[in-house]
Amino acid sequence: MRGLFRWSSKWWPGVIPLAVFWAIAAWNNTAPLEADLAARSGDALKNITLDKTRIAVAGRDVTLGAEAFSVDGRQSAVSSVEAVPGVRLVNDETRLVPEARPFVWSAERDVVRVTLAGSAPLPAVKGRLMDAAKAALGNVEVADQMGLARGAPPRFENAAILLLDQIARLKDGKITISDTKVQLAGMARDLGGREAIAAALKNLPEGFSVANEIKAPPYVFQAYKDPVAVTVTLSGYVPDNNIHAAIVQAATRKFFNEKVVDNLKESIGAPSGFAAAVVPALGALSRLSTGTLVVADREVKLSGDAFYEGAASQLRAGLGKDFPQGYQYKAEVTVKPAAAPVDPTVCQQLFSDLLGKGRIRFESGRANIEPDSAGLLDRLIETALRCPTATIEIAGHTDSAGEDAANQALSEKRAQAVIDYLVKAGLPANRFTAVGYGSTQPVADNESDEGKAQNRRIEFLVR
Amino acid sequence: MAYLLTFHWGWLLASLLLGLAMGWIAVVQRGDGVSSVMARWLAALAAALVAASIARIVPGRFGYWLDLLIVMFACYLVGCAVGSWLRDWVVSRSALVPPV
Repeated sequence: MRGLFRWSSKWWPGVIPLAVFWAIAAWNNTAPLEADLAARSGDALKNITLDKTRIAVAGRDVTLGAEAFSVDGRQSAVSSVEAVPGVRLVNDETRLVPEARPFVWSAERDVVRVTLAGSAPLPAVKGRLMDAAKAALGNVEVADQMGLARGAPPRFENAAILLLDQIARLKDGKITISDTKVQLAGMARDLGGREAIAAALKNLPEGFSVANEIKAPPYVFQAYKDPVAVTVTLSGYVPDNNIHAAIVQAATRKFFNEKVVDNLKESIGAPSGFAAAVVPALGALSRLSTGTLVVADREVKLSGDAFYEGAASQLRAGLGKDFPQGYQYKAEVTVKPAAAPVDPTVCQQLFSDLLGKGRIRFESGRANIEPDSAGLLDRLIETALRCPTATIEIAGHTDSAGEDAANQALSEKRAQAVIDYLVKAGLPANRFTAVGYGSTQPVADNESDEGKAQNRRIEFLVR
Repeated sequence: MAYLLTFHWGWLLASLLLGLAMGWIAVVQRGDGVSSVMARWLAALAAALVAASIARIVPGRFGYWLDLLIVMFACYLVGCAVGSWLRDWVVSRSALVPPV
């Protein structure tokens, strides 16, 4: 041992080449060592969710800058880098991602693109939201303006993905999640889009509240009465099969002369009371010689030419009460130029033609004229106005069902009801006489329902 | 430490060999060595450097270079000790054998 001390006093000259070695080793190895440590620190952080990760190595000291999404994530990031072999010190420059309060996320659709903005809770969630938007929107451009923040409400991602599906149903608009409040505004792409969105929103995760202000494009029903082609063309939308059938049936009843062309399509999204508004509106259209009916949402617009002034003023004024509450009625009705007067024989011919095509209908067993017959009566009145000198016998007939006396009375009452209608329309009462024939003059077999229907009739006879 | 050894094994081996050579020479070298006072100062300096390294008070690259220096110097010292001991062993063996 003493020898070792003695010898060691002479070891010093080797320190000079050792110093040279050290200098060369330090010169050559510093950069590779730093690169190696940086790479291995990066690997150690691979499984930890961080944003804006920055690793700087000086010697064996690692400076770690990053934004972590939780306190745990932040600690585990630092300790993972500390555990990398060779790392001497970690300068912790990590911080938590700022907390958004309120936590707002939005998806906005305009003409060209869909923009996702606001905050997403994690980079992975952000990526999934972008993917979901692209999947839902097909080839529409999706712009990502989302930042990252803590403080998302629970089940945020489920809610956001469900809402991204709804943005595909919008023409334009904005969907916003602010904490647990969901707000939708804008215009649905299709009829029924609003209802589809409302239905989908029922599946929002628990805890979210919804303010849905999506508007739908107007629900339009149109009917056009063409006197030249003798057609009524129905187009636009009806809510379902039953209402479709009911409307076509009502049109067939009201337009006794015209062929009903049915171009209707079925779609949800109709305003409430749709059928109750369209049926009387069709009745009003049937009283025009030519005209257009447009029912757009809750606005009923009728335009065209009435057969005579009385009908025009009735149509302008009197229809409002027939519509369900909330409906607006606008009539732009003018009067068709009066047709040239004709002599009574031609008049009789015109009456017979009209009554051959359609019949004046009454409530069963009573003398109240059904509203469906308004169109026919208007045409009869117009004809009566063309032969102002003729006196006309209004003849009522019934089928053979029931007692003769009752039928006789009913036929008289019905004939009188028609006269009352004509007088109310402005024709002088002294031109008409009411005659009831009961069931004494059948024109068809009373055994069948069809024959009976033909026998229940009103005839106009020019005397 | 293990990382330093594996990353710089070539340089550490070179230090060890340098130490072996120096130790080998030192046994038979004539002339003055370092005085005992000087040796104490040097030992104190080495201890201070080791303490600084352990305390990790030298930052960044300088800290790394300090660690490298200490490890290389330690290898050198080990090499010197082994070299001197070996030379001493060889010398004392040859002294026991009577000259022919």
